[in-house]
Amino acid sequence: MHRRDWLKSFSIVTFTGMVGCRGYQYGHVLKPEAANMVGSHEAGAEVFDPLIDEAVAKLLARQNVVSEDCPLGPNGQPMKKSICFVGIENKSAEDIGDFKDKLYNQIDSRILESSCFQSMSKRMVDAALHETRMRPDALMLPDNMRLFIAVLERSGAPVDYFMYATLTSGTTKRNSSTQRDYELTLELVNLHSGFADKVNAEVRKGYHKTAAGKAWNYNPFKR
Amino acid sequence: MTPCARYHPKAKEILAAQPSILGYLAACLLVLISTGCSTHSKRISQPRNLFYDGQLKACREGLEKLGKSNRHDRDVVNLDLAVVDLLSGQPKQAEAKLRDVRDRFELLEQDSLAEKTVSMWTDDQVRSYAGEDYEKILIRVFLSLSSLMQDGIDAESYTLQIQEKHEALAELFAKRNPPPEESPPDNNPSQVIAPKKSSGKEYQPLPLGFYMRGMLREATHRDYDDAVRNYEIASSLLPACVPLQWDLARARNGVHSQPGQGVVYVFAMVGRGPYKIEVAEQPTSDALLIADRIVSAVGPYKLPPTIAPIKIPDIAVPPSDVDSVGIRVDGHSIGPTTSLANIEQLAVSTYRANRNSIIARAVARRVVKKATIAAAKTSMGKEGLTALGMDVVGIAWEASEAADTRCWGLLPRDIQILRVEAPAGDHQLQLNALLGNRPVGPAQSTQVRVFDGQNTYVICWFPDARSVSQIMCSNRVE
Repeated sequence: MHRRDWLKSFSIVTFTGMVGCRGYQYGHVLKPEAANMVGSHEAGAEVFDPLIDEAVAKLLARQNVVSEDCPLGPNGQPMKKSICFVGIENKSAEDIGDFKDKLYNQIDSRILESSCFQSMSKRMVDAALHETRMRPDALMLPDNMRLFIAVLERSGAPVDYFMYATLTSGTTKRNSSTQRDYELTLELVNLHSGFADKVNAEVRKGYHKTAAGKAWNYNPFKR
Repeated sequence: MTPCARYHPKAKEILAAQPSILGYLAACLLVLISTGCSTHSKRISQPRNLFYDGQLKACREGLEKLGKSNRHDRDVVNLDLAVVDLLSGQPKQAEAKLRDVRDRFELLEQDSLAEKTVSMWTDDQVRSYAGEDYEKILIRVFLSLSSLMQDGIDAESYTLQIQEKHEALAELFAKRNPPPEESPPDNNPSQVIAPKKSSGKEYQPLPLGFYMRGMLREATHRDYDDAVRNYEIASSLLPACVPLQWDLARARNGVHSQPGQGVVYVFAMVGRGPYKIEVAEQPTSDALLIADRIVSAVGPYKLPPTIAPIKIPDIAVPPSDVDSVGIRVDGHSIGPTTSLANIEQLAVSTYRANRNSIIARAVARRVVKKATIAAAKTSMGKEGLTALGMDVVGIAWEASEAADTRCWGLLPRDIQILRVEAPAGDHQLQLNALLGNRPVGPAQSTQVRVFDGQNTYVICWFPDARSVSQIMCSNRVE
């Protein structure tokens, strides 16, 4: 190639470069019915939303049964059970980052919406934990429980149940593919009887290094 | 008609050629004039010295002047101004500036072809500065600190952003530098400038980010599991750090603080941090050889002799005569601060990891300039004095390049932490620069107010034993 031609082509490249410019970042609002984005490396809304839906629905279905010893209100209807939602414990292999408080609020809101429970304000629970300096996992010790309930009741909030949520996971690996099973457990402890009720929900998710990983690992011919 | 045209038989040809010769020379001179030899490191030196002398007001004025006079320096000047704001008791302004630069750097991560092309004819200083990787991580660290100095509302989000940004940068680096699969054959010239393969240690996470997140989660009195998780990661990054083991043990089995007590976290910035300087890469380097080969491959023309070296930026860290800060509360010695963010190491490792791309750009620029001169000479078809003149212009053009030394100039060498549990109420806090656990300067005092079950944050900066330290408290007693 002649140098003149080379210079000509170089000028064209230069000109093309001059017209190039930086892009922008765009955002859009999702419609309520739109499917969640599926996280490529860890769990996100696509896992946590169904976990909460299923676990809370199971818990409410189980607790909606009115027993004979259930106290009745002035209107003759069974009184709502008062729940102190102590917190969520993340025992899974992943850091859930900013999801933790979202999960708490989501579960708390669902419980509040139900006809059989009334949930205690998170701020009151926080204030009681702050005042008593107790760890959430140490509340089951009888002395701690008495003190904690006394602080809550002092502020006019009787408690029937403690509720704990625990997020756990189990990981199965096969070469460059991974399956992770996420489980959300809601544990309801009756403070009057000491008995506990427990429900859980599970979502399984596969992670692959290649696009064909899903088809390779999850097909009808694989066992 | 000029006398030359009257007597010379080829006068018309020469005259016809003159405009193009003049055009090339004018273009080259224009480029020479347009690129200055001044670098950011020279321009910033005076405000930086004022900062270390404790003259924050004069430093701010100098920085503001610099930001106004030089458009391309504006972002890095804003980073320096944010540090001045933070240490002069204006964390809100500091946070606003840091957020602004964070978002600008995010945008500038996308390449601009226009700027890339222009920089090929001048130098890297004409490109918008998108920040070094260590700066992008540290912006989020300083955002967290700025937030903690106010209400702390966004501090937790910023600590998450530290980790997110780090992961994104490490992933990008791994993508650009995949692990070697097979070694190239010996006669492959590309191996001369082939980038070094990743050792995996260039992008080690900053323990401070995890520690701060653990600290904030612990302060909720509820999310001890999160605190444990984050302290565990910080501890795995710094296995020899004993205070981290105490934090971990407390998060696993203890509580944030005993009833009636609160916690003071002292964030000590120690030493003068990394900044960029201009260094000359020798013309005999492999990179230049490749450049010469590329130009020579285009045609039989010989390149002008290579005289001007390639100027590239490098990271410099001044020596420090302070290695920690001793803390006393109400006259009782508590102990020295512990390093949780070795900024020197972070800056050097992440910068060196990407140094090849800077050299490659300089080599490409050299190729473009040499090729332009070569093409100009060919188009004129002249040898002798004119060609020599063109060579001289070419050399001068190359020599006029300056390295892009723009950087966040007011960074500490190290960020260290000490946690003190103290009864609720007002306390006298005394801070002393230490070298080998021995005081090396006058003690500085401040009054802090500790609240029951809450965290109080103190930021101080000891650049060296002589400099005046700045101390900021989230709950200062007036």
